[in-house]
Amino acid sequence: MIEILDTALPTIVFILFSLLTIPVVKTIRKRKSGKTAFKVGWFSVAFIIATISVVNLASKYYAQPSPQPFLNITLTAEPLAMFSSTFLVDAVSIYMAIIFTIVGAVVFMYSLFYVDSDEKLSERYYSIMLIIIGCVIGTAFAGDLLTLFIFWEATAAGSSFLMLYRKTPKSLHATLKYLVMIIIASAFIVYGLSIVYALTGTLNFWAVKNALMALGDKHLLEIAFIFIAAGYSIEAAVVPFHMWLPDAYTAAPASSSAFLSALVDQGSYYVLLRVLIYILTPPTVMPWTFMFAVLSALTMVVGNLLALTERNVKRLIAYVCIADVGYNLVAITSVTPLGIMGNLYFFLAGGITTALSFMTVGIFNSMGFKTLDDFSGIGRKMPLTSLALTLAAFSFAGVPAFAGFIAKYLVFTSAIEANLSWLAIIGVLTSVVQAAYLLRLINYMYAKKPQEEAKIKEPKKLLAIILILVAAIIVLGVYPTILLNLIDPVIQQLPFVP
Amino acid sequence: MQNALLLTLFLPTLAVPFVYLSGKKSSRMPAFLIALICIINIALLSTTVPSILNGADHKYVESYYWIPVLHSSFTLFVDGISFSIATITLILILTAALFSINYMQEKKGLAEYYALLTLLSIGLVGVFITSNLMLFYFCWELMLVPTYFIIGGWGYREPYKAAFKFFIFTHAGAVFVLLGIGAIFMVTGDLDIFQAQTALMTANPELVKWILLSLTAGFAVKMAAVPVHMWLPDAHSEAPAPMSALLSGVIISAGAYAILRVSLGTVFPAVMATDFGSLFLHGLTVFGILSAFFGSLIALVENDIKRIIAYSSIAHMGYVLFGLSLFPFQEAITGTVLHLVNHAVSKGLLFLSAGAVMKQLEIRDIREMGGLVGQMPITATSSTTAALSIAGIPPFACFISEFLIFVGAFQTINNDNFYLLPTALMLVATVLSLAYALRFVGHIFLGSAKHEKVTDVPFFMKLAMIILMAFVVILGIWPTFFIQLITSVSFV
Repeated sequence: MIEILDTALPTIVFILFSLLTIPVVKTIRKRKSGKTAFKVGWFSVAFIIATISVVNLASKYYAQPSPQPFLNITLTAEPLAMFSSTFLVDAVSIYMAIIFTIVGAVVFMYSLFYVDSDEKLSERYYSIMLIIIGCVIGTAFAGDLLTLFIFWEATAAGSSFLMLYRKTPKSLHATLKYLVMIIIASAFIVYGLSIVYALTGTLNFWAVKNALMALGDKHLLEIAFIFIAAGYSIEAAVVPFHMWLPDAYTAAPASSSAFLSALVDQGSYYVLLRVLIYILTPPTVMPWTFMFAVLSALTMVVGNLLALTERNVKRLIAYVCIADVGYNLVAITSVTPLGIMGNLYFFLAGGITTALSFMTVGIFNSMGFKTLDDFSGIGRKMPLTSLALTLAAFSFAGVPAFAGFIAKYLVFTSAIEANLSWLAIIGVLTSVVQAAYLLRLINYMYAKKPQEEAKIKEPKKLLAIILILVAAIIVLGVYPTILLNLIDPVIQQLPFVP
Repeated sequence: MQNALLLTLFLPTLAVPFVYLSGKKSSRMPAFLIALICIINIALLSTTVPSILNGADHKYVESYYWIPVLHSSFTLFVDGISFSIATITLILILTAALFSINYMQEKKGLAEYYALLTLLSIGLVGVFITSNLMLFYFCWELMLVPTYFIIGGWGYREPYKAAFKFFIFTHAGAVFVLLGIGAIFMVTGDLDIFQAQTALMTANPELVKWILLSLTAGFAVKMAAVPVHMWLPDAHSEAPAPMSALLSGVIISAGAYAILRVSLGTVFPAVMATDFGSLFLHGLTVFGILSAFFGSLIALVENDIKRIIAYSSIAHMGYVLFGLSLFPFQEAITGTVLHLVNHAVSKGLLFLSAGAVMKQLEIRDIREMGGLVGQMPITATSSTTAALSIAGIPPFACFISEFLIFVGAFQTINNDNFYLLPTALMLVATVLSLAYALRFVGHIFLGSAKHEKVTDVPFFMKLAMIILMAFVVILGIWPTFFIQLITSVSFV
């Protein structure tokens, strides 16, 4: 039997450790040696306990004779249960919790080495990262629209601190932009939610869904849908609401960009997936597929074209993230089991690929290489880091034997399956554009002559983390069955009949 | 052997780090390692010959667990066609590696070069010996990445530009292949080419039509048929000679093989009886003729030693397309596949010889060359052999296969009048190919010597050329073995 504690435990662990981090790490500030070892140990404990709690939840869930799709856990007993804050455990949320924990751990370790521990605010930085992981896992287990909203907004608010960390004018500007967008988005969402509440009298996922299915007049629901969809689209950086993302990701330190792209970005896709597929299931509840098909086409085209004209490498990767939103939307739009599979695969594959590229670009940036011209001939100066970035680029471009290929294959096939062949064609054409500008980056790295010949020492500890991710994209690309088996239970519990 | 085919793919995969490490120590060791792997792989492939010739369905299959969710198993198979092309591929890789010992010796980064070559060999062989479309696509794109870096890293003039063009063109082609594969998966729920064939028979013909077009367009880019040939002259002429030999010999053949195996073998039967079926074949004919004439005519006026050969490759892919358009006539298909084999060795030899000339003279314009026959006798012999084979002169390899294609064409004319004019035009094109072949040999090796103190190439380059020369002659005189293998495959 799954108790409320089992469900909330991963979130609680992260939040608890987040609170403890500042005092604990502060105590070792004065020490001369062993600081890094202590910190690695401390955060490893956090992640190990969190992993155990996630594994505990997963094993309890799958130990049931037939795992229920919507395992509903409320704080209050009947009859008030409908109005209470609700947690939800199903195959999707467990899958998301697992990948958030794993990817979070890897990216966190990178930040640990990347952000100099003597910096004044470093312990605050770690603490915020932990609390974001906690909140994003909380989002995955939210069972009603309000809980989802609260956890998700907490994640977004936490993200803004990561962007602000360096406190340069640029980052202030970017954070302001982000906050304004997020506040507009949350206003939209709250407005939409209030209409949904008025229509159904509840915010609980499945109660809402059932009430909406029985709804006769859907005009009000359409208005609510527009607001909710717009709000969550802003947070997921769907074109035309993407303007905040390149600035935010460029202004943040590389470790935060990696973190944001690998966790918060994927979290926002999860929210879209949950709301669009699981609650507003088309076509019975709300036929929104065409609208999102157009948005996804727009996102793929605009994201890739902007990247094509960009010369700042970190910003270029940020535009690739926008293009990835488009590919994710293609899969959501298809509303097929294959598409959902592709989506969940993309959450991990896309997440680690973007994280990997932000990490490597972060190393280059910290050496003063920022634009494409600076990257000239860097392949010979820093061979390992360049190789990692090159492999990430191939994974983005959807070249086989890398994780990105399987994700794209699933996504495009699902679009064909859903009779959206035009979307699949736009998708493959834009991914050729993607290959073009990523190859241009590789061209700069290997073909051009460097400005000076001297070899540069590569940071060993950061490279170790990077190599883990490189191995992951190759393994997931060659033998995707590992992850697909993990996704399989989700496909057994889809809310629509394929 | 039980796992022969699996080993052919895993042996080079496991060897990559060893090749790389040995390349750090010595400049010859990695080439020998690659040669050794190729020989072992040829031996492994040969163990399947009895089941190809005498087996019930004339093929040998191995299947392993891979991605059950996508209905993909790691299925490897060989039949007569796969075996012939895969063997020739391995021979070309072997000679390319040996040739590189001397050819590349002054270059930097040889460890990376040989490691990439090993990586390339996995994709090159894999694409011919799998019947699972997902695995096929893996190998298809695995040809791309190492080639990109080899052309870019060790090519001539502006190599990364040529490599970029190559990558983008063929990748754009590949995504259409991917769309086709996705659609096949969606329609049939299977990715095995043989099972998909039966399943497609009952599918919606309108959709099958689009699948066929999408796949064929994608494959045609790799094959460099006119009008999607633009990447080939640059990529082939800027690449280092061993890579050009592989590009021209094997990589573009992979495009032709894929059209035969996937487009025609798997998808086409579903629409064969319809009007669209014959329209499709006629379309192939037209593009074949265009490629043959375009390639030959430009080869006639081009002065760059490697670009002549590159354009001649476009012309020969024209013959192959013409041969494919005669599907499913047995002689024509046998001739086409045999032409892929023969063209691979002949063109490989020609590129290696051109590389030898370029290496010794360090110029590329054939007008500045002349009279090299006395100074470089071995290279001159090998070039002449290759050029005559390319021109379709007996007793060299390409004669037999071109002859078979024309026999097939005449048979087809009995059924379909359309082929009357194309066949006549193709006969004219062979005259053109003789013209540029003679021009090539004449300018470079005959006439008065324009350079002094030119010597013939070092040992390993000679060895590589002699091996291929032997194949060109043997395949010309005694093609029976391959013909026997290829005719054991039946498509319809």
